[in-house]
Order: sequence, then structure tokens, then C-alpha cells
Amino acid sequence: MAAVSYKPYFSAGLKEWIFTTDHKKIGIMYGVTSLIFFLIAGLSALAIRLELYQPGLQHMSEDTYNQALTVHGVVMQFWWAVGIWSSFGNYLLPLMIGARDVAFPRLNALSYWFFFAASVLALLTLLPGNHIKMMWTGYPPFSLNDNAGPTAFYALIVHMLGASSLASAINLVVTNLTMRAPGITLKKMNLFLHSFLAMNVIQILGVPALAGAVTMLLMDKYFQTAFFDPTRGGDPLLYQNLFWFYSHPVVYVMILPAFGLISEMIAVFSRREIFGKTSMIIAIWGIALLGFMVWIHHMFTSGVPDWIRILFSYTTVLIGVPTGIKIFNWVFTLYKGSVRFKTPMLYTLSAIFMFLIGGLTGIPLGLPAFDIAVHDSHFVVAHFHYVLGMSLTLAAFGGFHYWYPKYTGRMYSELWAKIGLLLIMIGSNLFYFLQFIVGLEGMPRRYADYPPIDSWIWLHELQTIGSMILGFGIIVAVLNLLLSTKLGKKAEDNPWSSPSLEWLVPSPPPPHNFDKIPHMPEDWDPYNYEWLEKQHRKH
Amino acid sequence: MKEVLAYPANYWQTMYEIWLIISVVIYLVVFLPAAYFLVKYRYRKGINEKAQHVEESKALEVLWTIIPTIVVIYLATQSFAFYRVQRNAPEGALEIKVTAFMWGWEFEYPNGKKVFSFFNSVVDPEKNVYLTTDKVNDMFKAYIPEGRPIKVLCTSRDVIHSFYVHPAKVTEDCVPGRITHLWFQINKPGDYWVFCREYCGTQHSKMAAVLKVVPKEEFENWLQQGVQANQENSKHNL
Repeated sequence: MAAVSYKPYFSAGLKEWIFTTDHKKIGIMYGVTSLIFFLIAGLSALAIRLELYQPGLQHMSEDTYNQALTVHGVVMQFWWAVGIWSSFGNYLLPLMIGARDVAFPRLNALSYWFFFAASVLALLTLLPGNHIKMMWTGYPPFSLNDNAGPTAFYALIVHMLGASSLASAINLVVTNLTMRAPGITLKKMNLFLHSFLAMNVIQILGVPALAGAVTMLLMDKYFQTAFFDPTRGGDPLLYQNLFWFYSHPVVYVMILPAFGLISEMIAVFSRREIFGKTSMIIAIWGIALLGFMVWIHHMFTSGVPDWIRILFSYTTVLIGVPTGIKIFNWVFTLYKGSVRFKTPMLYTLSAIFMFLIGGLTGIPLGLPAFDIAVHDSHFVVAHFHYVLGMSLTLAAFGGFHYWYPKYTGRMYSELWAKIGLLLIMIGSNLFYFLQFIVGLEGMPRRYADYPPIDSWIWLHELQTIGSMILGFGIIVAVLNLLLSTKLGKKAEDNPWSSPSLEWLVPSPPPPHNFDKIPHMPEDWDPYNYEWLEKQHRKH
Repeated sequence: MKEVLAYPANYWQTMYEIWLIISVVIYLVVFLPAAYFLVKYRYRKGINEKAQHVEESKALEVLWTIIPTIVVIYLATQSFAFYRVQRNAPEGALEIKVTAFMWGWEFEYPNGKKVFSFFNSVVDPEKNVYLTTDKVNDMFKAYIPEGRPIKVLCTSRDVIHSFYVHPAKVTEDCVPGRITHLWFQINKPGDYWVFCREYCGTQHSKMAAVLKVVPKEEFENWLQQGVQANQENSKHNL
């Protein structure tokens, strides 16, 4: 296509990486940071599982356990489940809409460096004396207590990440709405773009509530205000309301992009347009809207009035409807397709079925009659590890494999990728399915130790074995991706034959993305696979 | 009704079974067609190289919007009906005031008798491991009459805790500055766990207590004993 050959975007010196405003380099930097923190949080998870293998404390003190759990929660939520989408969004969004960069490239660099600053702060909490042990929720009055560790770290980390998220969200929304190449109408945007749009709108609306909550926390602890301190007339539940007003919608910030990736991959590998695309878009926005109306289900046992619990139980279970629509549409996308079982497709199918289990076990948590017994138990933990832990991670890893040739110009090893996925699926299902059962039997969450109840012991033993298999699978998958950057075969420009715009430029893309801004013809559509064949025939 | 170990756990059990059946059905409704499509429409050279065009189906879209809506609204309404019973203690329940603190529980009975249970009352002091319920010293156990509804009024002295009665499958947070409530009834004598379910710091995972469920007469005797001893003690102090 291009007569002039360019250096690939990633061959740049250290200085160029640090001062870059190129969305592709920033996307890669987000991805690397995110992945490093994913591995740190994963290691702390394995330490937690090792401790829970048997009742009693064998490997660490309670405080160390509580710190490891706090690190695991905060890092997995903010660096992995939210952070990894900054990587995909930054790298792919401009390519998909035919733009040379995001709307505000320097603001984009600032977003990343805020994220980096938060990462440095997070690493500082690992030093002795800085340990935070208040869980990722940071509920007062506990977080005002010295037992929780330095609350300032927590508040500042949230502020740094919040500034990064807000800037990045505004940037991507503006880019998406104003910089689409001619011919890419709102209707012709792919579902990746639609989900990232909805996700960023949630960020813009939600982050201020969390920022407010942690600011009040900071002032309560260090400046003698009394927003949350009941001994001086404050109300601890105010924090929970503010916290969950953001922190429930944030789970859709995490999962909507995963849905976007799933939609891209399932369409390409079925060689068919997404079934019911319009209803998919309506479902995305339905989830985003309903997502703001359900936060009380995190507080079903917190002492809020009973009628509020009932009201929110209806709104909560209704979220199952748009989510169900998405799953049914994915299944019917396979119908009369020509399904190819490449690694990204296997990841996608795994993500859908993990999400199905996670979704079905989420419904009873919205029913107070059920939740009354399992609130803050391992059942809840297993639920969100199916949806966020596994479904999201599988979608993200599917995305790594799917866009791998785009990022690196090389192909990963298909065999090792499949072995990695197999280990991940065996390990995670052994681990998290038994976690449901131990939760139903009453095991409370955030317990460093537990009483020697026979069924709890063997359930925990098998869970720990499952978690080790899962960890091993992740290592295989990550090593394959890393080693293939050197050992992988050269990839074609468009190995999956996708008409989506990011695949119509060379892989890896030239530094400026497009020689000239493309004009997409009338018959083009990101899911129109026949259009691509026609183009090939023309040449 | 005697075969039910504890109320209101029976309502939870019914809710659980309803949900489980519906979930398994939904799982199969999604999984079976998906598995069929994956096999039938897999790529095969010369046979299925290209996808066929499929018209969008409004009927299907409407179907899988309406049916799930009906199902979830039914579930929420069923839960509403059960929850009324699970939340509201029956008339004549014995009221016990529970005050949670870092890290232990204070139980106060209507006649003023108090029982304290600390995080180290449920562990072996030398090995720092949990004891089984029968090994915990009786003086740290909260006695509960068999077959009588108990209403717990809960609050906290410091941070948020949560009172979870293991056999009765009920939990409610104990929030400083508020009084929350829950009820339960245990129909078989024995020792049962209570756990803290809201993270509260270093000893959160040892913040348990034991409920000793005894026949009604034995409970009455136990309730009076403690108070007499207290009164005698206070005489000496005077």
C-alpha cells in the first residue's frame, strides 16, 4: 500500500518514549504498566491463597495478609481492570476512526504520567511503615483508625488515578465524537467504539463522587472534620453512598470495554456481522444508565431502610436484561457463520461463558432474601472473580492475541497460547467454582484465618491448587506474548481479514497512522467481510 | 416444622433453590444452542468457508427482552415476600443487645446479664489457631434458648462490624451511631458460630463468638445465675 517505508512506531529512543504524545506509544506504556501491576497483584493473590490453604496462620501475620489483600484489590481494580482499557482505548480508538492521534495528545501524555505517579505512590505503600490495610473500599470509621495505615496514600492514589481517568475519558470521548473520518457515521462505528464511548461517559459522571468521598476521608483523618465520624455527628454510611455511587458504575467501566472486545472478536472469527447490532448499542447504554441506579445493593446489610433495599433490588436485577440481550446476540452471531477457532476466538468464547456463570450468580446478590446470607462472603468474591476477574481478563488477553500482529508486526505461538488458555480455564474454574460453595457455606470474606470446619478445609485446599494452575497458565500466556516479540513469525498486515479500519493500515502502523485521512465508501462497514473480499478482487 | 435447624434460614433455602433451578435452565438455554452452532457452523474447507447472510429477527429480540424481564421481576418480587419475614422478628422474640468492638462482642440480655466474647476467646492461645466450638470456654458463650425467636439489636463501639449468625443465614452490619436489627431462631441445642462479616482490622478473621443453644429451662437458670453473682459482687464492692 505505502510506497515509502517508515520505521515502525515503536523503534524510538528512551527520550522519545518519555516525551511522546503519540497515542500508540502511550497505549503501549499503559499496557506495560498495567500488566506489571497485574502480575504484582496476581502474586499477592497467590500469597493469599497459600495462607488460606489450611486453617491457622502458617506463612504470614494477619497484618501482612490484610495488606496483601488490600494491594490485590486496589491494584486489580484500578491498574488492571480499569487501566488495561486505557491501553486498548489509546492505541486502537484513533486507528479505528481514521484519526492520526487523539484530540488532545499532550493531555493524553499527562493522563499517562498521572497514572505513572499513582503507580509510584502505590509502590511506596509497600515500604515498611506505609502499609495500607483498609481494603480497596476504605470504609470509615475504620479507615480513620490507625490500624488501617496511612489513609493519605489511599486518598492521593485515588486522586491521581481519578485525574488520569477524567482527562483520558474526556479526551477519548471528544476524539470519538469529533474526529471520525468521513463515512464512519455513528451507526457505522463498531461495538468497540460504542462501548468505549459509554465507558468513558460513566467515568466522567462517576469519578467526581469517589474523589469527593476520599477528600472528605482525608479531611476527617488529618484536618479534624467530621463527615464520617459518628462520635462527632458524622455518618459512616454517607461514605458508602458516595463510594458506591462511583464504584458500582465502575464495574461497567471495566466490563463494557471487555464486551466491546468480545463483539469485535466473535464477529471476525464467525465471519458475520454482529447479530442485532442496534439492540447491542441500546444494551450498552442501558447498562450504563442502569449502572448508576443500583449502588445500594452493596449496602443491603448496612443498616439502610428496608424499603430502599427492595427498590434497589428491582433496579439491580433489571440490569440482567440488557446483559442477557448481549449474550443472546453473541450466541446468534455464531448462527450460520463460518467459525474459526483461533486463539482470540477461544479466549472470547471462554470469556462469554465465564461471564454467563458470573452473571447468573450476580442475580441472587441483587435479591435481599438471598443476599442476607451471603453478603460479604466468599460467594460474592467468587461472583466478581467470574465476571471481572476472569471474563474481563480473558477478554483482555483475547485482545492481546487478536491485536498482537497489529502491535508488534509478528505472530504469537498458536500452540503455547492455547496451552496457556487451557491451564487458565482449568485453574480458574476449579478455584472460583469452589469459592461459590465455600461462600454458600458461610465463609466470610477478608478472613486471614478460618475455623476448622471440615468442608471449608478441603474446599480451600482445592481452591489453592486451582489458583496455582491459574497462575501458571497466566505465566505461560504472558511468556508466549513476550517471547514472540522476538521469536514470532512475521505477520501479514491483516491476518484476520477484518474490514475494521485499524486493519487496513500496515501492521505495525506507521507513526502517523494514515498517509491521508481515509474516506470510507458507502458500502463499507466494520463487519462487512464481503466488502473486503471485493476490494481484494479489484486489486 | 421441627426439622428446620434455624429460622429464617428456611426462606433463604427456598430462595436459593428457586434461583438455582432458573439459573441452570438459563445456562442450558444459552449453552446448548451455542455449542450446537459452534459445531455445525465451524469452518470447513469447501463446505462452510463463508458465513451465510442472516436477516435480523425482531421477534427473537423481543422474546429475549421480555422473558428475562419477567423472570427477574418475578425473582425480585419473590425475594420481597421472603425478605419481609426474614427481616421482621415475630412477636414475643427475646431481645438481645449486641455491641461489637475491635475485636469482640458484648451480649446484653433483658435482665442486664452480659457476656463478653473476645477474639482470643475462640483461639488456642499458644498456637493462635481457631478452636472448635465445643472447646471454647462456656463463660465466653452467649446462651440462647432453643426454639425461641431472638431479636438482636446491634451497634458498634468503634468501626463497622457485621453480625452473621452462621446456622440462621442472616447478617446485618453493626454501625457506630446506629442501631440495626436482625432475628433468628435455632431449633436444636448445640454450639453455633457467629462471625464478623465486615472488615475491621488485624483480628477481623478471629472476631467470632459462639452461641450455645440450650433447652428453655436451662437457659432460664443460666440467665438468673449470672445476675445473682453480679449482684453479690456489687454488694461486696459496696
